[in-house]
This record gives sequence, structure tokens and C-alpha cells, in this order.
Amino acid sequence: MIDIDALTVKYAGRKQPALRNLSLQVRKGETLLVLGSSGSGKSTLALALNGLIPHSIGTVLSGTVRVEGLDTQQHPVSQLAQKVGIIFQDPDTQFATLKVEDEIVFGLENLGLDPALMEARIEQALNQVGMAHARLRPVYALSGGEKQRVALAALLAMQPEVLVFDEPTANLDSVGTQQVFALLAELKARRQHTLVLIEHKLDELMHLVDRVVVLDAEGRIFTQGEPRQVFEDHGAELKRLGVWMPQVCQLAHALRQRRVTISKFPITLDEAVSAFGPLISTPPVAAEQPAVAPRTTEPATALLLEVRNLSFSYGSTSALHQVSLRVERGEILAIVGPNGAGKSTLAKHLIGLLMPPAGCVYLQGVDLNRVPAKSLARQVAYVFQNPEHQFVTERVVDEIAFGLRAAGWDEARLQARTAELLATFGLARYARANPFTLSHGEKRRLSVAAMLAMGQEVLILDEPTFGQDERNAAALMALLKGLNAQGITIIIITHDMRLVAEYASTVAVMKSGRVEFCGRPEQLFAQNELLAQAHLNLTPLARLATLLSAQHPHLRGYATLDDFLSLAYRAASPQKVEA
Amino acid sequence: MNTIYYEGSSFLHRLNPLSKFLLSGFLFAFIMLTTDPWAPLAFILFTLVLLLWLGNLPLRRLAKVLWPMLLIAAAFLLFYPLFVRQSLVANTPLLFQLGPLLVFQGGLEYGLTISLRVLALLTISLPFSLTTDSADFIRALVQQWRLPYRLGYGTLAAFRFVPMLQTEIAVIGAAHRVRGVNGAHGLRGAYERLRRYAVPLLATAIRQAERTALAMDGRAFGAFSQRSYYRRMRFSPADWFFTLGVLAGSALILVGLQALGLLGPLAFLQIL
Repeated sequence: MIDIDALTVKYAGRKQPALRNLSLQVRKGETLLVLGSSGSGKSTLALALNGLIPHSIGTVLSGTVRVEGLDTQQHPVSQLAQKVGIIFQDPDTQFATLKVEDEIVFGLENLGLDPALMEARIEQALNQVGMAHARLRPVYALSGGEKQRVALAALLAMQPEVLVFDEPTANLDSVGTQQVFALLAELKARRQHTLVLIEHKLDELMHLVDRVVVLDAEGRIFTQGEPRQVFEDHGAELKRLGVWMPQVCQLAHALRQRRVTISKFPITLDEAVSAFGPLISTPPVAAEQPAVAPRTTEPATALLLEVRNLSFSYGSTSALHQVSLRVERGEILAIVGPNGAGKSTLAKHLIGLLMPPAGCVYLQGVDLNRVPAKSLARQVAYVFQNPEHQFVTERVVDEIAFGLRAAGWDEARLQARTAELLATFGLARYARANPFTLSHGEKRRLSVAAMLAMGQEVLILDEPTFGQDERNAAALMALLKGLNAQGITIIIITHDMRLVAEYASTVAVMKSGRVEFCGRPEQLFAQNELLAQAHLNLTPLARLATLLSAQHPHLRGYATLDDFLSLAYRAASPQKVEA
Repeated sequence: MNTIYYEGSSFLHRLNPLSKFLLSGFLFAFIMLTTDPWAPLAFILFTLVLLLWLGNLPLRRLAKVLWPMLLIAAAFLLFYPLFVRQSLVANTPLLFQLGPLLVFQGGLEYGLTISLRVLALLTISLPFSLTTDSADFIRALVQQWRLPYRLGYGTLAAFRFVPMLQTEIAVIGAAHRVRGVNGAHGLRGAYERLRRYAVPLLATAIRQAERTALAMDGRAFGAFSQRSYYRRMRFSPADWFFTLGVLAGSALILVGLQALGLLGPLAFLQIL
């Protein structure tokens, strides 16, 4: 079906090729998963499959790509578009028109298809993605998941045999992610397409995947093969490359390191249940108290931030309804919930972007309504989702010094503080670079460093791990953990339940402008009904715990690797398991 | 994009966008021909009747788009008599005097004519702009008036960018405020602000344009010099009927005004 031979691709203005000497075959009907850290060339590979490389962007330095025998360099995209379709990451920028129906026919019109044949194609494509009801709706009025469905329908109408999904859920909330995954499962079940997936939420997908290809940071193939074999044999290397791995595989590796014998290496949840279930010992004492020890070491009692009955509406649409929330000093609070639940609106009230009415928000007992914006900025830092939005200078070092200068710090103290922050955040060697030239992970670190320069006590982050690979996300979270240990209270707005499970001390669930839950993550993970109502996906390990808790009730509420490693395992070696 | 389009399925909505476009053109020509206050007034009423009757437009909605227009017209009416060249109107009766400012009856009449004409020009664009989907207009331009389709669809894609960039500007503004940027005032401040917004905005715009271009190319956009169309835009009998009807109606208005002796001399593009 697809035959790539020694392909090397380079973009104009880059020194290094994006793909190097890459050879890969994809069989008809196969589902291929492409893994790699950010910048490893995954998207480049996708673009090379339907001739966008080299016809629209990039240069092929050497090698060939053949799709059903057609050399992509010799044949125009119009011909290849009927063989290979790509779903892109950003649902908003892949539409050419304003209405769903227009979007579906767009490709057909470009091919000059007879209009009489289009009706049947539109109906079929929309039915296949379950969007027939939205045919006449404007594209902008759809949710993220629906947009991706329409984008897929637009491709399906052109009847390509290969569908490439380039991180289709990266910009979606959990509702949208579920919709896209369901669609992938349907496509797989229909067996009409060859699927190439680039994705890092892996646990939900592994049962669909036939083969995994891992790219290294230089755009070469690091390894490829059956998923089980790749994840079992290359655990340590994948971690080093910054490649996401199914969480159950991570757990299996961690257990093996502790000499727990696992006969069949699990890659899906179901396999994990049968692999781990028999290994877990029943605890000698029936645990009635919360299964997992609270993660906060000292009882946090100092109230830092308090929201009392805050309501807010944009025009006639209510965004916040009687929201109350208490944030203790030293917490890591995660605010979760589907898009439109009011998370950002709440955050805007905490930083003065929206002025709370008197008597609604208190910071250390002072009504925010009376705090001038400038002095609030010295106490609360806010990091936006896209770090670029916050850059206001032309050098990294100035970016960090900006707030200090504005606050009138004397030059010597300012220099010392800036140098300290550059070192802490690993940015010292970029001090003179333009912030916009940094990599995504570096930009994110810079935006945190710049915001915290004045020593704010509260740091609010909007989707901090958004669009980052495993290694960058872990590095950032380690950094935040360090800041938290120094006493900085951290509030994270996120969709990422894994982040909640591993780092949050408290989690607040918002839905339709209300706070539906506020408590410890492990308490939340035991509340299936609430999770479903708020459209929150359990992390794979939390789901594993839920499944296992039928046999082992003491696992209820477990959600992280550490939780699982704290268990006693039957087949453990005679030495005591180290914590 | 945020236009003043009012979604509906009235007779006007169902017309070909080009016939509504032509309608605005005809009325524009007729109004430009006249020099008295009555003709613009008649055309305003004519257009409003068309909108309410054939466009099925709710009065509230009409009022919402009309009041800013009325404000502009009122401004002309108020200020024109004060600043009109005295020599033009000095032979008419003096109405009143405000210090050094003399207001003649002739000045007031000119003001009325000008403000009605401005109002008429704004009003005649409404049947088109209130009932035409911009995508349909571009489609019709491409299919019937041979606008190159790459240009047409490029414009359509650009329409989608406007709200995205608006959101982007709002977010950047908020992000800068949170950083405690309080720019200098005056010209220097404006320059600084422009520079601060320009880089992130450009970075986003270029990235988004690139992505959209790739997604469009990936679906064979621009592959052939001709493309087919699912929705064929053409002039239906209703369009001919409507276009001729509007022409006839406009002529009738002029003739009627002439008969009543209200029509001034006809002169194209003469303001006074």
C-alpha cells in the first residue's frame, strides 16, 4: 500500500533534515501507530504520505514514497488526495468553508466530480461519522470533537484508502477525545481503510494498533514492530527518547524492575487486568480508611484564597453559578471539567482580568475587589495556555527581567534574580535569544519563569502540559513540584487527568458553571457517576484500579504508578519491595 | 465572520446574491441622479417595504441596524446648516442666529437633502447585506461572474480568520495585562503596543494560514483550472422578476415624484 524507501526530507531554512533515510512499508488494511518526541518528524511523515511534501512544503532530498505504486514526487496531490487523507491536529484551521455541507463537497468539487454524484457521497460520509444531523450547520458552531468528525467526513467523501490522523485529539477536551477514539474504533471495525495514527493517549488505542514505529529525535526510525514487542523490549530507550508509552506498560516495566514476574507483558487495560490481578496480594488488614495515604505531608490549614458564591454571566449566558472554593497555602489544586464549564472564567476572576464583585474573592483575607491590578500581579502569577501570548520583549533575559524592572528593582538585585531564574529553568544558554525562537517546551518554561520573577505566592497555569511530549511535560511538572515545595501555591486548569492523579493535592471538578466536587484526587477517582457526568476520563491506571477493585477492593481510588508500586505482590522476590 | 447577516429563508434570502447586489446598484444610481430631498426619502421607504415584506425581517432587527444610520444622518442634518457656504444660501430667509453662526432656511434644506441622501445610500445596501450569506455571494461571483475560484475561496478562508484573530487579540491583551504591562500613553505608547501585539499575532496568523493552506491542498484545492459545484448558482425566474420589478418600481417613484412636482432637476453625482 505505502512503500517509503530511504526518504530524507528537509524544510527550507532548517539546517537539519526532518526525516533521515527513513524506510517503511505499510500493508493494506494495517493500523500503524507512529511515536516520537516532539520534533522527531512525525507530522513530516504524515505530510509526505499524500504528496504535500514535496508539492506544497518541504523538499525531498533523497528517497521515494510510493502509494499504491504512485510515486508521490511524480504525481500531483489531486491524484494522491484520493488515496491518502490527513486529519490534522487543530480542528479550527483545517476547514476551507463555513458550512458542514460545503466542507464535505469541497474536495469533491476540487476534483471536478459530477455534482449529480455528490449527494450520495455527502450522505454516506456524514452517516459514517454520525454527523448527518449537522449537515446545514455552520462549522464554527460545532464542538471540537464534532469538528474532527466533520473533517474526517470531508476526507471520507473523497474515498481515500489511507487515513492519517496527526494528533487528532491534542486540542480536544475529554468529550471530544472520546468521540474521536470511538470513530477510530468504528473505522477499524469497518476494515476498509489503512490507518496511520500519530497520538500519545495510547492506552485507549492499543487494541486497534497492529504495528508501532518509533522515530528518534533526528527523524530516523528507532525501532518498529508489534506493539507488545516494542513496548516490552525498549522500555528504557523509549523513556529516554521522550516517547509516550501506554501507562500499563510503564507499570509492567516498573514492576519487573522490582522483580515481580509478569509472564505476558500487557499493552491494553484488559490484558493488564489479567496480568496484574492474580499477582496482587490481599492485604492482611481490611482497609477501611482511604486506600492511599494523603500526599500532603503536613496538614494544610492556612487559607490563602477563598471564593464565596461567585456568579458571573457573559451577556445572557451564565458562566459561573454560585461558585465557592477554598485554596489552602501550599496546595497544588487542579481545576478540571469539560470545555465551557467555567474554569477559565473562574481563573480570570482570580487575577483581575474579570473584576469580582465585592465580597466574593479573598486573597489572604483581603477582598480582591479592593486590590489594584498592579499589586495583584505581584501576588498572583498566571501562565496562559499559549506561552507566546505573554512575551513582551525581544530577549529571553529581558522577558524575565520585565516584571522586575516595572516594579522598580535596583539593577544589581534584578541581575541576580534574573540569573537565578535562568539557571533554575534551564534557560541560561538562551539568555540572549528571541523568545519566539525557543522550542515549545522552552517557551513554556520561560513563560513560567517570567511570571514568577517577582516571587508571587500563587501560580495559576492554564493547560501547562498542552501539546508537550512526555519528557517536556514531566520536566515541567517536576519544576512545578519544586516550586510547590518552596511554598508556592499552584492552581492548574487542565483536561489532563494524569496530571491530576500524579501531582494534584486537591482537585475541583467544574461543570456548567458550578463546582461539583472539591477534594483529594483519590476520592474523585472512586466516584464513577460524577466522573461520567463531568465527562472526565479516568487515567488508564485509575481505570485499571477500578477494574481490579472487583477482585481487590482495597485498590479503589488508586491512580498513579506510585500507588500501584506501594502494593504487595505475590510473585515478588524474597527481598522486601522497596518503596 | 461577524457580518450583519440575518439568517432566514424569505424571498429575499432565496434570491441569487447577485440580483440583490444589482438591486443595490440600481438604487444607488437612481439616488445619485436626484437632487431633492423627496426622492431619497421615497427610496428609503421603498427599500424598507422590500425588507419587511419580501425579507420577512422583524421590526426589532431592522431598528437595531437602522438606529446608528439615523444617528449619522442626524449628525449631517445638525451640522450641515452651520457650515454650508453662506453665499449659497444667503438669499433665503434667516431662521436664527447663534453668535457668529447664521442659520438660513436654505442651509437647513441642504442639510435635510444631504442627510436623507446619506441615509438612503446606507439603507439601500441593507437588502443585500441583511439577507445574503457571504459564502453564497462569493460562490455566485465565482460561478457566474468568473471571479477566479482560487481568489474566491481564499477570501472565504480569510473570513474564517477574522474571528480567530479577534479572539487572539483579546487573549494577547489579557496576557499582557496579567504581566503588568502598562504601556506609555500617547504616540509612543501606541507604537509600543502595536509592536508587542504584532509579533505574537503574526506568528499565530502565519501558522494558522499555513495549516489551512496545507489542509486545503491536501484535499486537491487548486489541482485543476476548473472545479465542479454541488450548489449551482444561477438566475432563476424569480431573480429576473425581482430585478425588473425593482427597476420598474424605481422608475415609477421618479415619475410619481415628477407628477407631484417634488422631483428636483436630475443630475448624476451632483451633490448640490
